[in-house]
Amino acid sequence: MSAPLTAGPRGFSRRTLLAASAAGLAVLATGCTSPAADEREKVTGRQADELSAQVAVQEAVVSAFVAAGAADPALAGEVADLAAQADAQLARLRAAAPGSSTSAAASSAGAPPAPETRAWLRGQVATAAASHAAACVGQSGARAALLGSIAAGLAGQDARLA
Amino acid sequence: MADETSGSGTLDEATENAALAEVLAAEHTAIWGYGVVGAALPAESQALASASEIAHRDARDRVITLLAGRGVDPVGAAGGYALPFPVLSPTDAAALAVVLEDGVAAAWVRVLDQAAEAGTRELAVGSLTATEIRAVGWRGLAGQPTVTSAFPGLPEQ
Repeated sequence: MSAPLTAGPRGFSRRTLLAASAAGLAVLATGCTSPAADEREKVTGRQADELSAQVAVQEAVVSAFVAAGAADPALAGEVADLAAQADAQLARLRAAAPGSSTSAAASSAGAPPAPETRAWLRGQVATAAASHAAACVGQSGARAALLGSIAAGLAGQDARLA
Repeated sequence: MADETSGSGTLDEATENAALAEVLAAEHTAIWGYGVVGAALPAESQALASASEIAHRDARDRVITLLAGRGVDPVGAAGGYALPFPVLSPTDAAALAVVLEDGVAAAWVRVLDQAAEAGTRELAVGSLTATEIRAVGWRGLAGQPTVTSAFPGLPEQ
C-alpha cells in the first residue's frame, strides 16, 4: 500500500500551524501571557525589540518597491504582484509586533533610473531577506515561523527578479 | 543551548525532534517524488530535477545525522507513495515538483515553530529558503500565474 504523497508533516495540517500561530500572535497583540496562553509564546523584551526592528526592515522593502516603480514605470507593472506580497508580509509582521511604529528611516528614495532599477530593487529585497532570516534564529515559536517564512518568500522574490 | 523561552514551556528537544522527524519524512517523500518528476521531463530540464533531488538528499542526510546524534531513530522512507495527480507531461512534472517543495516548506516552517535550539532554527530557515527558491523555478515551468509566495510553508490568512 502506498502512502499518500503529501510531503508535509504527518499528523500536522496547515490549519494546525495557523491555529498555533494565531495563538502566539494573540498573545503578542495583548502584550501579556494569560494562563490559557501557550507558555512557549512568551516573548522576551529582546525578542520584542528585534521583532519591531524587522517591521522597519519590511517597511523599507515596501518603500523600495514604491521607489523602484517611480524610477522605472515599466518595472512597476512587472513587479506589482511582488509589491503586493511585500505589503501582505508587512501587515502580518505588524500584527505580530503591535508595539512597533512606522520608521521614518524606511523611505527608499534612492532608486536609480532604469536600467539599474531592477538590480537595486533586488539588492533591497535580498538584504531584507537576509535580515529576516538572521532575526528568525533569535525568535521562537510562531514568531520564528513567521520571520523564517517571510525571509524565504523574499528570497524567492530575489530569484524571480534575477 | 536551548531557547530561553523553553525552560518552563513546551518547546524542548522532544518537540524539536518530533518536528525534525516530520521534516525527514517530507524529505524522503521529495526524494521519491523527484524520481517521478525526472522521468517525465525532457533532457533539457533534467538538470533542475537532478539538482533538486540532490538538495533533498543532502537535507535528509543532515537531519538523519542530527537525530542520530541525539539517539533518535530516524524515520525511514515509505515503500511507495500515491501521486496526487497523474504525471503525464513536463508541465505535470513541474507541478508535482511544486507540490513536493511546498510540502517540504511546510515541514521546515513546522520546525521553526517547534525548535528549542537556535542552531536548529538556523538549519530550518536556510533549508526553507532553498526550498522556496527551487519552488519559484518549478512554478514557472508549471505555468502557474504567480511564481512567488509571500509566506512559504505558512497557511494564507
